[in-house]
Amino acid sequence: MKEDDKFDLPQGTLDLLIMRVVSLGPIHGYAIAQRIQQMSREALQVQQGSLYPALHRLEYKKLLIAKWQATETGREAKFYELTARGRAFLKDETEKWKRLTDVVGLILKGTLEGVS
Amino acid sequence: MDIELDKELRFHIEAQVADKIRSGVPENEARRLARLEFGGIDQIKEGCRHSRGTVWLESLLQDVGYGLRQLRKSPGFTLTAVLTLAMGIGANAAIFTLVNAVLLRDLPVVDPKSLVRLGNWADCCQNSGPKQDGNYSMFSTETYEQLKRNTPEFEELAAMQAGFENRPVVVRRDGGQEAAMPRMGEFVSGNYFGMFGLQPAKGRLISASDDLASAPLVAVMSYPTWKNVYGGDDSVVGSTFWMNTKPATIVGVAPEGFYGDRMSNTPPDFYLPIATVPNEMGGKGFRDSSQNWLDIIGRVKPGVAPLPLQEKLSAELKRIYAKDPHFSAADIAKAHVVLAAGGAGTQSMQDSYASNLKLLMWIATLVLMIACANITNLLMVRGMQRKTEMSVRTALGAMRTRIVRQLLTESLLLAAIGGVTALAASYGGARMLLMLTFPGDQHLPISARPSFEVLGFAICVAIATGVTFGVAPALIAAKASPAEALRSGTRTTVGGASLVQRGLVVFQAALSVVLLVGAGLFSQSLSKLQHTDMKLESQNRYIVHINAQAAGYKDDQVDALYRTLEERFHAIPGVVNVGVSTFTPMEGNDDGYGVHLIGQPDIHIEATNIIVNPEYFDSVGTSVLMGRGITSHDTATSPHVAVVNQDFVHALFKPGENPISRSFVAGGDSPKPYAIVGVVAGTSYTNVRRNGKRPMYFGPLTQPSEVGYAGAIVVQTSHPMGDMEEITRRTLMGINSNLAIQKFETFEAQIAGRFTHERMLSTLMLLFGGLALLLATLGLYGVTAYSVVRRTSEIGIRMALGANRNFVVAMILRSAILQTLSGLAIGVPVAFYGATLVRSQLYGLTSVSGSALWAAVGMLLAAACVAGAIPALRAASVDPVRALRIE
Repeated sequence: MKEDDKFDLPQGTLDLLIMRVVSLGPIHGYAIAQRIQQMSREALQVQQGSLYPALHRLEYKKLLIAKWQATETGREAKFYELTARGRAFLKDETEKWKRLTDVVGLILKGTLEGVS
Repeated sequence: MDIELDKELRFHIEAQVADKIRSGVPENEARRLARLEFGGIDQIKEGCRHSRGTVWLESLLQDVGYGLRQLRKSPGFTLTAVLTLAMGIGANAAIFTLVNAVLLRDLPVVDPKSLVRLGNWADCCQNSGPKQDGNYSMFSTETYEQLKRNTPEFEELAAMQAGFENRPVVVRRDGGQEAAMPRMGEFVSGNYFGMFGLQPAKGRLISASDDLASAPLVAVMSYPTWKNVYGGDDSVVGSTFWMNTKPATIVGVAPEGFYGDRMSNTPPDFYLPIATVPNEMGGKGFRDSSQNWLDIIGRVKPGVAPLPLQEKLSAELKRIYAKDPHFSAADIAKAHVVLAAGGAGTQSMQDSYASNLKLLMWIATLVLMIACANITNLLMVRGMQRKTEMSVRTALGAMRTRIVRQLLTESLLLAAIGGVTALAASYGGARMLLMLTFPGDQHLPISARPSFEVLGFAICVAIATGVTFGVAPALIAAKASPAEALRSGTRTTVGGASLVQRGLVVFQAALSVVLLVGAGLFSQSLSKLQHTDMKLESQNRYIVHINAQAAGYKDDQVDALYRTLEERFHAIPGVVNVGVSTFTPMEGNDDGYGVHLIGQPDIHIEATNIIVNPEYFDSVGTSVLMGRGITSHDTATSPHVAVVNQDFVHALFKPGENPISRSFVAGGDSPKPYAIVGVVAGTSYTNVRRNGKRPMYFGPLTQPSEVGYAGAIVVQTSHPMGDMEEITRRTLMGINSNLAIQKFETFEAQIAGRFTHERMLSTLMLLFGGLALLLATLGLYGVTAYSVVRRTSEIGIRMALGANRNFVVAMILRSAILQTLSGLAIGVPVAFYGATLVRSQLYGLTSVSGSALWAAVGMLLAAACVAGAIPALRAASVDPVRALRIE
């Protein structure tokens, strides 16, 4: 993977990505990072330094709930799930995000005349 | 929480490692890579904590934990600081406990603020006749009755026996097996309990109908006596007790916590109505309408102004005394009463301890100041020592606020530990003070337990100390610019201790020299008091107190009793002399009467009257200087005679005049004038401060006098007899089973008892002086040691350049001694000033004595040398090579 294909995430979007991944079913932190990486086709690499504080922040805000469960390899890991509140929040924010990207896309579509 | 986080992160790394191994990376390499990718675990953790919002709590716990670790790491510093705080605050809290209990506490009665006492000083026990200054505090039964009748301004005006401490009753429970025991009985007016608004714990309290001469004798028992002596037995109420051989019905128990109308180390066990005294208790003086023996306290009606009331009472008093033939027109014009707050009761103890307690408060405050100076110094030294540490932490990215908070937490922790230790110290200190002040006394209604006020006081002082003295070092540390601090960290030749630090040490030295001089003065005063020539012999003498009235003796029976006492005690092998008298040298009693020479104008001299048997003067060691003593030829039918002391001669006769055969009359309703037959030495009675200033006259036991029955027996033996008390008990029982020992002491113990007060002051001053010296020495040591550490490399260079050890020692010592001398320069004048403030409490000293001054200066200088020498020697042992290489 080339360095240019990687992004810095805009502020606040990490929370949304995490919640989206978690909405698919109970999942632990490492898997969340892997999943985001896969789903973004390796374009996004989540740093642990931001992943775990974000997870804890969401848990603290009661958008996520965590419990300790055994993985398929038999090890104990902390699995995250959406709460009802988290589900509603995710739905809300996803719609907002879509509207925002539509609007931004509307303005930014087409070739960049006079720039290139 | 932290463990879970750890586990979660570890799982992440493990999973990563497992993935890498699966993709073919060797395990070691996989681990290395995983850890590399993961980054700083601690930063992640910190981030998680932040997002949870628990960071403040955790960092507080961290601060506390770190603070405790820091304190543990330097036990010397911690111990010194905690002990300094504990001693400083503890001494204050202990004294505050006592001041609170003795001076500030109101009686546990209803609305103490509306109580007013007639009279503003503690007059004691019993007297009559005009007062020189016209200020009356003690009144007769008749005066009380008249005042009560004519003052509607009072809701109630109650009277109580003044100085009942010296007049116990002998009590035996009816039907009980126990022997008759002396107990404290206080005579009170019928409205006494009503005036205080008290409710009985059991039964009922004394009422007006009990306070009539015709009423059956009743008594109220105090709550502690009921609980402790009679085990809270309900059948006590309604039962009969024999009081001074008369049957009295216990009608009730006084409320719990009520300790009588004054703070005293002998609170009353029984309360008895006044009217029953003349009929049942046989007190000669109480029957006399001119004998003053009552304190008066009243509850004023709301809205009554105190000043007009005082005027009115004084006018009333003048009217009453106008009818008394012993009062001249001038005496009557002077007569007045001063109203005082009655909420704290009759206050004899408050009066006698107020000046001492105030002095102790001042001293404790000085000690606290020294302690605070020490703490400041210690924390500042520590703050500077840790400058480097703080710089490192700042350089590593610690926030300034966090560092300041950390340092403040540390000082507060220190203060908290100090405060708790101080409370323990204050409890111990208050107990010690109580023991010193009232030796061998369990009855005092004062507890050493710190009150809420004291707790609050200690906590406030501890926090104030912590914050105040924590802020300065914290700010110093926070201001440090890390780069500069790290660069110059240890390589410094300037500085040493700062000016503030030196100033604090000088201040401490000054204060401790003041306290040491004070301690010296009080010790000297005590020793002068004890070595005053009391003109008596105390060796192999035993003093026995009995109460003939209490044993049921009547006027016509006591002469026989006196003779029996003399005979029976003489029959004991080893007994040389048996003195019988109303009271003895160096005991608390004193009955004074106005005397004047016949044929001379009355010049208002008050003299103490004692009646004695022929052997009395020999038994106490008073020598007869002129004429003769009392002899067996002085009988009821022989001429009325008196032997007077030297002070009496000085007060009433011109120099060179021969007093023998002259006559005088004494106050009261003396039937016959006294003819002086002899002059004796001025033996000390009550107080050596009155030596040479206390006229006395001694009459024969067998002749009429102003005073009551003789209650003191002086037994002089040829050798010390350890079992004298038991022998005395048996002898008295053999005479009459109702004759109980009221008090038995060796003459020496009785004399020592008169110096308890002074001994307490001197001991406390020594303790506080020692404490101050110790703290000042520690302070000086701390500063000197600190400057040695700071100057290690400078000293190393000096030595490398050829300075020898002596030079280094002298250099360090010089600065220590210089600070001490500056302290002396300030402290000595202050000590001289302080001595003028306490002059009234010193005996035989009017200013700072040379010996006290030199002792204090010497001690301080010696302490300074020790405090300076230890760091100086350490400085001199610095190896120059190592000192320079250290950086």
